[in-house]
Amino acid sequence: MSGVRILLFGAAADRAGTRQTEVALNGGATLAELWPVLVDLHPGLAPMRDTLAFAVNGEYARMEDAVSPGDEVAVLPPVSGG
Amino acid sequence: MRLFLIVEEPIDVGAIVTGAFRPDCGAVATFIGTTRVDEGAEVEGAIASVEYLEYEAYRPMADRKLEEIGAEIRERWEVGHVSLVHRLGRVDPGEPSVAIVVASPRRGPAFEASRYAIERIKEIVPIWKREVWSDGYVWVGSQVGTRSVE
Repeated sequence: MSGVRILLFGAAADRAGTRQTEVALNGGATLAELWPVLVDLHPGLAPMRDTLAFAVNGEYARMEDAVSPGDEVAVLPPVSGG
Repeated sequence: MRLFLIVEEPIDVGAIVTGAFRPDCGAVATFIGTTRVDEGAEVEGAIASVEYLEYEAYRPMADRKLEEIGAEIRERWEVGHVSLVHRLGRVDPGEPSVAIVVASPRRGPAFEASRYAIERIKEIVPIWKREVWSDGYVWVGSQVGTRSVE
């Protein structure tokens, strides 16, 4: 599998117009490199950039962290549980 | 009974509280978060109000984060029992959306740890709520939604 599965939640799913998408990756990349590819597919996400957190395979990740084909990336708006 | 739990049905608060009773603990602190509806605002001549809240989660990450908070509490305080339960889906006004129960030998750690738990839930657990109004909805914390006045 050469793609990265992207899950979107809450306001990010609204902005993207989908709750799940896939981004093709040739080899590895960082989250920072993945972001513009995702925004190309779903431009509505662009204004949310500074509010978002990301998880790779179910754990919070930083923009410089690596993403590989087969990984699951979650796009997380500010959490509002409770 | 599982202690860290995400549920889609009403939270059985009574069972969670009595489940914390044990002979080596003389204090059981509980925090129950219930859905609050603020006074409606007038929109185009009509009073709009929140009808209910709707929660969603990124699972199983959210489940694991609840367990992590439980582990953090056990590192910081002397506690005999910690249970954290969060509800998903539609929650009507005045109903519990989150329940925290901490038992400790003495009251100090029980109070402190239960306060810590709710603050951490609001900080690190990937759960989101939207307010569903009579005229649309809005994601709390993102101000993104379908209401014309947001």
